[in-house]
Amino acid sequence: MSSINEMLDFKSSQALTLGVELELQLVNTRDFNLAPDANDLLRRAADDVHAGELKPEITQSMIEINSGVHARYETLQSELRLTRDRLAAHARQMNVAIAGGGTHPFQKWKDRKIYPTERFLSVSDKYGFLAKQFTVFGQHVHIGCASADDAIYLTHALIRYVPHFVALSASSPFYQGVDTAFDSSRLSIVNTFPLAGTMPFVRDWHAFTEYFATMQGFGIVKSMKDFYWDVRPKPEFGTVEIRVCDTPLTVDRAAQIAAYAQALARMLWAARVDWIKPELYLVHGYNRFQAARHGLAGVLVDPATRASVSIADDIQNTLRQLAPHAAELASTGALDALATLVRDEGNDAAWLRRAFAARTTLPDVVREQSARWMEE
Amino acid sequence: MAAEFLPAWPPAANSFILFGLVLLAGLIGGRIASRTRVLPSITGYIAIGFLLGPGVLGWLTEDALRDARIFVDISLGVVVFELGRRLDLQWVRHDRWLLPSGVAESLLSFCAMFALLRYFDIAPLEAAVAATVGVATAPAVVLLVAAELKAEGPVTRRALWHVALNNIIAMLGVALLLPFIEARDSGSPWNPTARALWLVAGSFLLGYLAFWVTRLVARFIGKSDAPQFVLIVGMIVLTVGLAQNGHLSVLLALLVFGVAVRNFDRAHHLIDIRFGHAARLFFIVLFVVTGATLRPDQFGPIAWIGLALVLVRLLGKAVALYLFASPARISIQQAATLSLALTPMAGLAIGMTQPIYDVAPEFGARLAAIVASGIAILHLIGPVATRYALVASGEGDSSELD
Repeated sequence: MSSINEMLDFKSSQALTLGVELELQLVNTRDFNLAPDANDLLRRAADDVHAGELKPEITQSMIEINSGVHARYETLQSELRLTRDRLAAHARQMNVAIAGGGTHPFQKWKDRKIYPTERFLSVSDKYGFLAKQFTVFGQHVHIGCASADDAIYLTHALIRYVPHFVALSASSPFYQGVDTAFDSSRLSIVNTFPLAGTMPFVRDWHAFTEYFATMQGFGIVKSMKDFYWDVRPKPEFGTVEIRVCDTPLTVDRAAQIAAYAQALARMLWAARVDWIKPELYLVHGYNRFQAARHGLAGVLVDPATRASVSIADDIQNTLRQLAPHAAELASTGALDALATLVRDEGNDAAWLRRAFAARTTLPDVVREQSARWMEE
Repeated sequence: MAAEFLPAWPPAANSFILFGLVLLAGLIGGRIASRTRVLPSITGYIAIGFLLGPGVLGWLTEDALRDARIFVDISLGVVVFELGRRLDLQWVRHDRWLLPSGVAESLLSFCAMFALLRYFDIAPLEAAVAATVGVATAPAVVLLVAAELKAEGPVTRRALWHVALNNIIAMLGVALLLPFIEARDSGSPWNPTARALWLVAGSFLLGYLAFWVTRLVARFIGKSDAPQFVLIVGMIVLTVGLAQNGHLSVLLALLVFGVAVRNFDRAHHLIDIRFGHAARLFFIVLFVVTGATLRPDQFGPIAWIGLALVLVRLLGKAVALYLFASPARISIQQAATLSLALTPMAGLAIGMTQPIYDVAPEFGARLAAIVASGIAILHLIGPVATRYALVASGEGDSSELD
């Protein structure tokens, strides 16, 4: 049990601090297919000074940016911009490009190469073709929690807002060369893993520890990393991690989405809502699908009122409720940008579909999305 | 007495029979080579050509090789065009050490080969021309080995860029030396200078014109794979023909065509078409014919001169790339595998010396004698070296039989 206690020792962190992980695509500049250059990019960037870190991901055309820990949205945004500028400079020197987006529009998963670390090779061994299909690109948002029980509360409460995160960040309409009709096709790929889904309905950290011990006793999980949940507590960081977002097409959008999560956490902790009941999870699968399939145009069922409401309207309502919290957190600008997205410009999936309509081929779309990420 | 309607026995060979047999034999030879997991298929194609060619069995006669010339020229056109498409001029802007390291690699290997040939008492002009020709890396070998291994990554990308550049440098070098060769034979340098100018400027112009027409037609036909494939192949064949008729450099014209397609199609009317299986047909013929030009005596006692040439050439490239590794931010291992990948020498096989034969046949023959054994040796070790380099760099997958 001591190893469980160590593993589940929830490191308290300053509440409402935030950080993000962004998985990014490396593409070549010739046909804009994925390029297996992660190793070389990481080698070149190793000497750079980062607040966070750069890491390899499951296949060799992916890299992951981990930001540092921030109290404010603005500093997170400037760090991400700085990292982007550095990475973009390296990429140009290597004659490759970096792009956001939840999927690469036309790569074929069978062509992918597993990044040769022990963990990734074991994942590949365990999951077969799912490992290569996991060449999808997500944004994870971390919110600092003062205590483990706060984390359990927030993990449940955020489930209500998962469709918002999916719809706001959706940037994977194209997958394996076709328009999937989904705004986020990436989310369906994550679903195929046996330990995907949501945390069970545990009331507090003690109950969670018991659940984990049971799963470990079955021999199903070894560590928290084995749970591919939509929202999960992350004891070693002292955070709650939202894992449903596609990587947006720009780092600014990534920072705005993190700011949305931060303001939500502030509101939810302040209000201590009374709708955290098993019912929350009855509507979750439906709501999540609506967001992935239709984006902002989807319809979700509010578990508290049982009313159906369009995701776009629900986000606008939430943004209004969040205004005072955003003011306290100095993130009003970020939330205004999201309001504009919902009202006028649409999400990144809409942007990608417009690019395809204008340009007619998927390599053209990738060229434009990489130019957008690299700010060319 | 045989019935008249029956064909003669044994059946006489014609171009079709020949083409079919070359393909089949090459295919089997290539398969045997790739099954070793050490040799690339190209080595098999070349070995089959050598075996069937005038040098050993003599089934492929000189006439037959001449008949196959058209396929060889088309495959070279495809190869050089494809190579041109790898030369991203933007990259030079973003990596300011790329061009210097490419020029240094060419220059140093030139100097090393020139010094060696002078050491063996080869006359300066002959030595200069031979060393210039030697600068170029065989594009077909590197492209095909990379395709076979499905190699992609920093070393492969850089290797193809260097191949494109050292081919351009070698072609321009040969054109530059051409007036001197002709002046020595005929006395007056004026006419030959004009010829060299025509060769270079004309080839550039033709290549650019081919691009311009291609883009124009592409705008009309739209961005679909099959029509653009036909368009590109058609334009390549047309450009090969025009270059031949205009006494221009086929290679330079097609290289410029490829470079223009990659860099000047600003509105992106052209898509990145793949030659795929169709190209394989032509490549087999190309390498079987290349193998057939080898003679057993090239591996005889004079081979060690050739071997020395190969080694100093490799050394020149390796030293240059090593010196530029740190500023260009490539690792020492990358520099080493990159140098090794550039081992195959293009030489006479790809027709770079054709203009020399045109102006001074005797000089051409002397030149061929000097570099022939080096080239012969490189046909054997070049593809193997490139294959080894791309596998060692981790970018080529040696486990895959394509």
